[in-house]
Amino acid sequence: MNPSLLAAASIGTGLMMLIAAIAALTVKKLISAIIIVGFVSLSSSVLFLLMNAPDVAITEASIGAAASTVIFLWGRGRIGGEE
Amino acid sequence: MIRSIVGLIIVLTLSAVVISVIPDLSVPVDLPRTGQYYTEHGVEDTGSVNLVTSVVVAYRGLDTLGEVVVLFSASTAVVLILTLIPVGSDPTPPSSIVALTARVLPAAVVLFGAYVITHGHLSPGGGFPGGAIVASAFLLVMLGSSSVPGSSKFLASIESLAGVTFGLLGFWGMMVFGQFLNNLVIPQGSPGKIVSAGIIPLVSLAIGAKVASELSSVFASYRNKGGEA
Repeated sequence: MNPSLLAAASIGTGLMMLIAAIAALTVKKLISAIIIVGFVSLSSSVLFLLMNAPDVAITEASIGAAASTVIFLWGRGRIGGEE
Repeated sequence: MIRSIVGLIIVLTLSAVVISVIPDLSVPVDLPRTGQYYTEHGVEDTGSVNLVTSVVVAYRGLDTLGEVVVLFSASTAVVLILTLIPVGSDPTPPSSIVALTARVLPAAVVLFGAYVITHGHLSPGGGFPGGAIVASAFLLVMLGSSSVPGSSKFLASIESLAGVTFGLLGFWGMMVFGQFLNNLVIPQGSPGKIVSAGIIPLVSLAIGAKVASELSSVFASYRNKGGEA
């Protein structure tokens, strides 16, 4: 991929992550915050892929985006309810 | 009010630190000496085409063993706490979309996980990510059913077997070459073939089985109502 395009894609993904992370802090409902954190994990896995680290990207996508999101959701179910 | 002022001060201080550091940042042109050694001799030393796996499993295999121990103690603690404290309710039955997906997709996910584990020395992946992918297939099965998984002796025995295998492979190298986890107790083979790279595929398999069973038991313990120890 051509370098300036790569840089643009990385910076775009990074900005998207930043905005999503701030949204996760400010959003009212816990369940929305959990989904947004999952999205941040998935974007960071894309970022790792853009930085030529496919090994880390696979791990981040499977553990960070999938497993920990579900664990947060189930943990929220166990403590029972919002906030 | 005070909280947001303090938060704002912290954010401003941190951004000032980052902005003051940015001009000194430079992209390293040369690798550090260890990295240079790994890139030059990695393939001939270990026979693994994927240098990340050769570092993780062969050069720094002892660290990986420590990592496996950390994951083991963490999952043991989670399972213990969640089975001892009786909270939570019956899982809500899944919607028909989730139920159908959970019936179709897991086989393909397990296959992909097995591919990632067994090709760790050839393509990106290895024991940890592959094991996590296999565990996510079990997660999908659990999401698609409304019943509660019982306690499983099978998962525990897979986990122990995989841990013992990792340790024994390490001690095999110690007996032959006097070096823990020596890679060359099995002939290295030609790099790029599926049967090559010494004990790296076997160690990947052990790590994959261990990670998959540990994460699955963590998921299952979240699904349990608990209290039955």
